[in-house]
Amino acid sequence: MTGAPRMSPDVGHAALIQAVASHADRQAFAELFRHYAPRVKAWLMRSGAAAGAAEELAQETMLMVWRKASLFDGARAGPSTWIFTIARNLRIDRIRRERHPEELMPDPADEPEEPPQADRLLSAMEREDRVRQAMGTLSAEQADVVRLAFFQDKPHSEIERDLGIPLGTVKSRLRLAMSRLRSALEDLC
Amino acid sequence: MINHHPSDATLTSYAAGTLPEALGLVTATHLSFCPACRDAVALAEAVGGSMLEDLAPVAMADDALVQVLARGDMPEPPVMTPVREAKLPGPLKYCSFGRSWLVAPGLRWRPLRTSGRAWGGLLVAQPGRRFPRHAHTGLELTCVLRGSFVDANGRYGAGDLAEPEGDHDDPPSIDSDEPCVCVIASEGFRLGGAFGLLQRMIGL
Ligand SMILES: [Zn+2]
Repeated sequence: MTGAPRMSPDVGHAALIQAVASHADRQAFAELFRHYAPRVKAWLMRSGAAAGAAEELAQETMLMVWRKASLFDGARAGPSTWIFTIARNLRIDRIRRERHPEELMPDPADEPEEPPQADRLLSAMEREDRVRQAMGTLSAEQADVVRLAFFQDKPHSEIERDLGIPLGTVKSRLRLAMSRLRSALEDLC
Repeated sequence: MINHHPSDATLTSYAAGTLPEALGLVTATHLSFCPACRDAVALAEAVGGSMLEDLAPVAMADDALVQVLARGDMPEPPVMTPVREAKLPGPLKYCSFGRSWLVAPGLRWRPLRTSGRAWGGLLVAQPGRRFPRHAHTGLELTCVLRGSFVDANGRYGAGDLAEPEGDHDDPPSIDSDEPCVCVIASEGFRLGGAFGLLQRMIGL
């Protein structure tokens, strides 16, 4: 990387999460809540949840942000990525509990990972920022398959039906989209 | 050395949280072996984060913040994730399995207890055996835990993940001296022979 690191808008949110972690800062939490809770609710509704269930799960997500703030590691993921993964995991748990009330399965994504390497420490927040910019450079078709993958709990064979294109094309568009995003990040690492 | 990885489509669905449970477990098992795919999932999660930022907000209930802060002041209930299978790697440690069956000579199957539209389990195959012949009707993932097998796409050792595109006519055969242990999940495949019988027995 050359020059001074660019400031991402997420740096502010990261500082708010750290304030919640270090001294249970309710003011900081309120600010995070106002920004993220309505977006988490929107994502859940776009993924098929009814408004009531989405409200409940969005509150649950923010409760986890409050409780787990000390686990936030800005070197690993930016704030919106971290909060997205919390919402995603709660949604997975919720779906499983509805089917298997007696059994609480651990989420595989909770597996402890190796600590990030030192040369990657700076990149998480910038990665988030860069990904957002790179998303704007995808072709309309590529952006569509990526969006559908995130917004709908559907097998790719149904995405195929929705978009009216063959499964092989869905998969290759996703591959192109992800490699495009990957190359947008390459000079970061 | 990992040579075979899930497709970007599978890794993206995993990051989005939309893979059925059994398929998610096989993917997570591969991730526990493969730093490159962990990076790919981290990238896809960052895509999820960026989409979250760009969504039009939907208003929360008026008292939502007050409610959450009130709950946050209460003690947190402990979450237990008991280790059930200490010998299995990664996320499989915490999984619940059914009884092991001898489904054919040299082939043992232990179903995973999971929910959702996919099913899965552990297959233990003795050296020299072939996997059961079958046709794919959806996404199918196989991650090797021990031993190895070969198919038309090459050799698969511990940590490698097979994600066949389309039907495979030539079922994989075990080429290791030790038994090959795999975790397999599928959105539904049709099997012939002894496995067809098994499939009927476990209610698929
Ligand atoms: Zn991999």
